[in-house]
Amino acid sequence: MSELTNPAIGADPNAPSGGFSFDNVHRNALLLQRQFPSPHSSDPNASANANSGDRSILPLATKTGTTIVGVVYKDGIVLGADTRSTNDTTVADKNCEKIHYIAPNIYCCGAGTAADTEKTTELISSQMELLRLNTGDGQSRVVTACTLLKRMLFRYQGYVSAALVLGGCDLDGPHLYQIYPHGSTGKLPFTTMGSGSLAAMAIFESDYRDDMDEVDALRLVQRAILAGIFNDLGSGSNVDTCVIRVDGTVTMGRNEIRPNEVGPLRDMVRRSDVLNMREGTTAVLRSSFVGRSGVGVSMADVTVTAMET
Amino acid sequence: MSILEYNGAAIIGMAGKDCVGIASDNRLGIQYQTVAMDFKKIFKMNDRLFVGLAGLATDVQTLDQLLRFRMSLYELREEREMTPRVFTNLLSNMLYEKRFGPYFCEPIIAGLDEKGAPHLATMDLIGAQALAKDFVVAGTCEGNLYGMCETLWKPDMDKEVLFETLAQALLASVDRDALSGWGGVVHIITKEGVISRELKGRQD
Amino acid sequence: MGDSAYSFSLTTFSRTGKLLQIEYALNAVANGRTALGIAATDGVVIATDKKFGSSLVDASQVRKVEKITDGSGFVYAGVGPDYRVLVRKARKTAQAYFREYRETMPVGQLVKSTASVMQEYTQSGGVRPFGVSLLVAGMDGDGVPRLFQVDPSGAYFGWKATAIGKGYVNANNFLEKRYQEDMELEDAIHTALLTLREGFEGEMNGHNIEVGVVSKNDGKFRLLTPEQIQDYLDEAN
Repeated sequence: MSELTNPAIGADPNAPSGGFSFDNVHRNALLLQRQFPSPHSSDPNASANANSGDRSILPLATKTGTTIVGVVYKDGIVLGADTRSTNDTTVADKNCEKIHYIAPNIYCCGAGTAADTEKTTELISSQMELLRLNTGDGQSRVVTACTLLKRMLFRYQGYVSAALVLGGCDLDGPHLYQIYPHGSTGKLPFTTMGSGSLAAMAIFESDYRDDMDEVDALRLVQRAILAGIFNDLGSGSNVDTCVIRVDGTVTMGRNEIRPNEVGPLRDMVRRSDVLNMREGTTAVLRSSFVGRSGVGVSMADVTVTAMET
Repeated sequence: MSILEYNGAAIIGMAGKDCVGIASDNRLGIQYQTVAMDFKKIFKMNDRLFVGLAGLATDVQTLDQLLRFRMSLYELREEREMTPRVFTNLLSNMLYEKRFGPYFCEPIIAGLDEKGAPHLATMDLIGAQALAKDFVVAGTCEGNLYGMCETLWKPDMDKEVLFETLAQALLASVDRDALSGWGGVVHIITKEGVISRELKGRQD
Repeated sequence: MGDSAYSFSLTTFSRTGKLLQIEYALNAVANGRTALGIAATDGVVIATDKKFGSSLVDASQVRKVEKITDGSGFVYAGVGPDYRVLVRKARKTAQAYFREYRETMPVGQLVKSTASVMQEYTQSGGVRPFGVSLLVAGMDGDGVPRLFQVDPSGAYFGWKATAIGKGYVNANNFLEKRYQEDMELEDAIHTALLTLREGFEGEMNGHNIEVGVVSKNDGKFRLLTPEQIQDYLDEAN
């Protein structure tokens, strides 16, 4: 390594430290360990309900739920994903993006905890760019991305819960990998992941053929994602696809199919006039306006007085 | 009861035409006991950027302090204002850094970007971002807030209509939630400046 | 590296108030191959001479103009290996910045952070200053072309046009005469090559110089290929 490691020279204080911080872990463990006494629990009639009715005090992170798929075809890779993210049973985002950029010739679909898939792919994409710059090699290899990802996930023993479908084309042709949260990987001609993986795999298992052309491959991926959208509650909304060809071109099909478009339905609703808020509807106790500082102030607005010397 | 619901909160961010609004309730409780009716949950980051923090009150205040520190440092170092997009990424990374020992806080970010267009974002407690064109909600009556916003929101509202819509969505939602309420506050961010209004609400 | 608690900095003030190690570092820079840069209205060009002691050196394996971010690049005069340390650090810092804010690191910030690395090596124990001056060319989202010089002391300056390394005095004189405020990138590339030729021993071609440009068209920093350089040289003839 060329970076000098002199103990007298600290890291750039402005640069982010990197890595996870465990500062709050102890505090959180204490907080969560302690059962907050509910005022109702003193009531003997309610106590039977106290445990079954009370949900865990551990908050849930947003999951992608997700149907993600990938398939190898004659001239490249097709990746696909749905666009729903959920927090428990609430839809947190109706149109999120699950096909993440890794390199110009490599993309990665993510399922699992939304923050983990997002941040893991961002980190690896940054490492890939650094590697490209420092090796002077114009093109990233898919196997490199796969190795970086699996090493990171294995290091965190599955606690970083990202299940990935990694696809791309390099000088060795098209490659498709699946990566599990614990760091195990597989190199396959077609794969599905996420809660909708069974629905999607049903389509793949019945209709996948070796050496398909692009149109057939894209259609197969779309059908697999639609199967997830309609049959898996964790998946929904629209179909995103990404075609990565051996010739280096990439086509992102963002919201390529929108089977759940609510716009027309909403427009059909004749909203009651009561729902159109008129000024003065709400009782206001106090109101203030703070102008944008610095807006419209020029030297002309300032009286200049000579400094006393 | 989730620790996110320990103190109670309801926050909405909503987009209008050339303006964006953010609203919160005023309650601070310890479970079912109300402790304060003037608890601040929305923080001004700069003239065109507000952040609302719903969740555990101690983390709400800690995060506000950390954010102001990071914002000030950025603005001194780069001699420019932080854009809402950059702010969202910064906050997201601050939360994800504590992935395994998180702040119990779900933020709402509302601001106007360089072009004066609304920027709305929310994230979970470990920083998974969700950007929205219409509205974002967080707090102990998330379901109610979603319902009200889905019903009342329409595109291209001017700043007065946006205020009324936000206020009514908030008040109706908190009235069906024991953990939030006691009136609210609404900030409407426009290119010219910020309109702030305190709302009269139920005191029970 | 020794025990840092007992190894104090080589860069200690002389009685006349000079930091001699820094001046020696500047001598190393002045002995290095010439590098220069010009900021035009719609872009920036940086260029350097790439001649070697022996004709047997494979010039295609040597890189002197390096891309740091999408919109910026470095060139240097002085000690090559020292330069590569700075390039690596700058790229790493720029990536960390991007991960934090999801926005490309502005050229000004890149210059400041690189300069502060160089400054630390003038005040730390067990190290010597970097034997390089850098030229940093780049463009931020605002589309304003920027050119900076960073010295071994950690001092940095913004320039419209400047030269460093061997014959920099002559080159700067030449640039002062040729530089025009309304210069466009194409003119600037020609002027850069002309300036380089002034101090060049022998015939310039696509393989013994390197040129990096960032243009307002796409705001991307890129190296010119030997063929592109040759085209510019042919145009000038």
